[in-house]
Amino acid sequence: MSTRRALQLVLALIAVLVLVYPLLTSGSPVYSRLGALVLLAAIGASAWNIVGGYAGQVSVGHAVFFGFGAYSAVVVYTHLEWPPIAGAPIGMALSVLLAAVIGVPTLRLSGHYFSMATIAVAELVRVLSSTSEFLGGAQGLSGPPVPRGALDLSFISATPYYYIFLIVLAGLLGLTWWIERGRMGFYLRAIKDSERAARSLGVSAGNYKLQAYMLSAAFTSLAGSLYLTMFGFVDPESGFGILISVKMVVMAALGGAGQLLGPLIGAAILVPLEELSNSLLGGKGAGLTFVVYGAIIVIIARFLPSGLLSLVERRPTAPNSAAPKSTGKPVSGHAD
Amino acid sequence: MSLTLLQVVVSGLLLGAVYALFSSGLTLIWGMMNVVNFAHGDFVMLGMYTAVVVWTAMGGGPWASVPVAAILIATLGVASYFLLVRHIMKGPMLAQILGTFGLALFLRYSAFNVFGANFRTLPDTLVGGSFVLGGIRFEGARVLAGAVGLIVTLALHFMLTRTMLGARMLAVSEDATAAQLMGIRPQRMQALAWALAGGATGIAGAVIATFFYTSPTVGETLAIVAFVTVSFGGFGSVLGALVAGLIIGVVESTSAYLIGPVYKDVIVYVLFVLVLWFRPQGLMGKT
Amino acid sequence: MLIEARSVTKAFGAFKAVDDASVVVEEGEILGLIGPNGAGKSTFFNCLTGDLSVTSGSVHFDGIDVTRAAPEHRARLGLARTFQVPLTFESMSVLDNVTIGALLRHHNARDARTRARDVLQRVGLGPLSDAPAKSLGTPGRKRLEIARALASEPKALLLDEAMAGLTPTEVREAIELVRRIHGGGITIVIVEHIMEVIVSLARKVVVFHQGREIARGTPREVTGDPHVIAAYLGRRKVRT
Repeated sequence: MSTRRALQLVLALIAVLVLVYPLLTSGSPVYSRLGALVLLAAIGASAWNIVGGYAGQVSVGHAVFFGFGAYSAVVVYTHLEWPPIAGAPIGMALSVLLAAVIGVPTLRLSGHYFSMATIAVAELVRVLSSTSEFLGGAQGLSGPPVPRGALDLSFISATPYYYIFLIVLAGLLGLTWWIERGRMGFYLRAIKDSERAARSLGVSAGNYKLQAYMLSAAFTSLAGSLYLTMFGFVDPESGFGILISVKMVVMAALGGAGQLLGPLIGAAILVPLEELSNSLLGGKGAGLTFVVYGAIIVIIARFLPSGLLSLVERRPTAPNSAAPKSTGKPVSGHAD
Repeated sequence: MSLTLLQVVVSGLLLGAVYALFSSGLTLIWGMMNVVNFAHGDFVMLGMYTAVVVWTAMGGGPWASVPVAAILIATLGVASYFLLVRHIMKGPMLAQILGTFGLALFLRYSAFNVFGANFRTLPDTLVGGSFVLGGIRFEGARVLAGAVGLIVTLALHFMLTRTMLGARMLAVSEDATAAQLMGIRPQRMQALAWALAGGATGIAGAVIATFFYTSPTVGETLAIVAFVTVSFGGFGSVLGALVAGLIIGVVESTSAYLIGPVYKDVIVYVLFVLVLWFRPQGLMGKT
Repeated sequence: MLIEARSVTKAFGAFKAVDDASVVVEEGEILGLIGPNGAGKSTFFNCLTGDLSVTSGSVHFDGIDVTRAAPEHRARLGLARTFQVPLTFESMSVLDNVTIGALLRHHNARDARTRARDVLQRVGLGPLSDAPAKSLGTPGRKRLEIARALASEPKALLLDEAMAGLTPTEVREAIELVRRIHGGGITIVIVEHIMEVIVSLARKVVVFHQGREIARGTPREVTGDPHVIAAYLGRRKVRT
């Protein structure tokens, strides 16, 4: 009987609450929709967490994968009349491919290059998508107006979406947990701490970072496809906009990047806040929401770089020695 | 070369000089302390709004707006350094990138709330029409911007490479601890770098505003131009940024002319990805 | 021979940090690389491990040409190293640090952990297993790096100034540890400043000066060599 036991009890209680949440709110469509939105955001943020949190490679252009997922879903409907969800594997495959194209050259370099490249590619794709007839241009594309069958995954109530998203999130977190505890998880943490030392121990740092990035891209794309099944519409801004990327990063960072439940916690805090500010401020709220987002990001970076979860974690009792930290500068064996 | 194409190249060079100027701020900070300011484009954006405000509120032309923007953005730079960057630069990579990235969002959407989403433009007459020289048309605003860009960038380059102050800043970037032992205060030098970078960026913003639309999100596009310029020119090299800026200016204006204005940004992004793929150390950088 | 470097040259621009160095390390020996500051021995060391790519020349490990191989590839072949300024994984526990090394040969995390515990016992860090790596001081970090490298079950262990910054007592303990590791059948290459360490450990010594090898032999032979004395005394040029 210890704090550990108590923590387990709390977690179990939360798990039960999460499972029965739609039953508790069945009277209110607003709340069941909110629950679904939190889970969807948590899928995106948890996917980002694999490469941004665990591998420490800060992508700020994950919207490109989200957009690939959303557009793939709507494109297979528009051009082939398939159920949108059938586009999900296509989006995932394309995202993995694009991740390789971005990752192979930039993951060899210092993290700044990777971040810049991810911004640039996301912007490039956003601009191109708005000029593409095939993707509906700046107007975007819509999914099926009325469900043609169960496979269209088109529901009036948010509850089915809630459970679909919950299953996907559980799968994603399960996979992340499994990775975290295995060889890859150890290696990713090692790479984040000191890539040079990791390589000296036989870790193919480039490969592991790339694998993390591709896996992360695939799940982000799946989040995009799921988004489309619920909202039935995507345009360049809601698919590829920089704010999509920002939300994933800020949620993971707020909860705790590189922590299994960090993104979920971040999403559970920020999504209701955003919905609240939108409903209070109406359409005018969007700009202000992102002022607040910007401020939150700055505050996290400045005061809480390890996120909220680091506050409840036990702190190391041993005193920190004043040893020099690695500066992250490029390899230099020049000095004797 | 046809006269039209020559016209396009000349306007590209004038634009490129301005690109060089605002990119030199980014490269200076990066080279000096290994920090990438993701809010750099938004610093330019605020420089542009400063020019708009100076013009609308006080009726001042570039002569008034340039120094005001320089001082204002330099102050913003120093404040960012002391309140944020100084603290995050020793932290994890995530904090380093998120810090200035959050700052970028904050500034961008604050501008959105204050100035609205609409594009603003300054009247052409502010700098005075245009003239024709050798069959090529020169717009006053662009000539002024290009000249200012070229002069200030070169001045910055000479300050960094030929003066005692530049040598001190270089010493801090090489080895802050060693510099400290020689009696240089690293923090003061780093703050100065932010002031210089901010000042150059403010000037660039104020002159761009005379011929470019001003909007809250313009910084996003400009930031990417600056990233491309800096990765072309090699990180930390102001002279590299100058050469790269001129090249990119010409590439942009010729591709806008030959393929269409929509694709000029696309060309720059593609260029960026190609550079990262084939020559990440920059065209002029060392291996 | 286990490691063979042939005519290795490493230039930074016009400056040749290592100039035409050839060194052979036989299986089972302890080779010392010494030389005054800036002699190029660390640069040479990093060419052996793959952290630096050579400008010209070749490096063979265990009969395989590794001249262009990445550090991780050489590690997999059995070449382990430590760093001059320790690069421990700061966010992890001591045990996890060593587990990273053990994962090279034991892909299952549980097996690797068991193996890591073993190694920690052997190097005398057992009681500190659960401490965060960042709580260790310099001697602890250096020892942790050795443990981490050992856990990767190498054929050769390359130590880059593993004793720098230690007190005389700690140096003696470290020498003892290196002897034990060597006794376990691992070939050792050691870069060192401290003559005493080299004399008590190595049978064969190569002396570097200004990027070139100026002497080789037993510690006794080289310490009596006039070129070596001149180099250490800091005379500008020694004509041969």
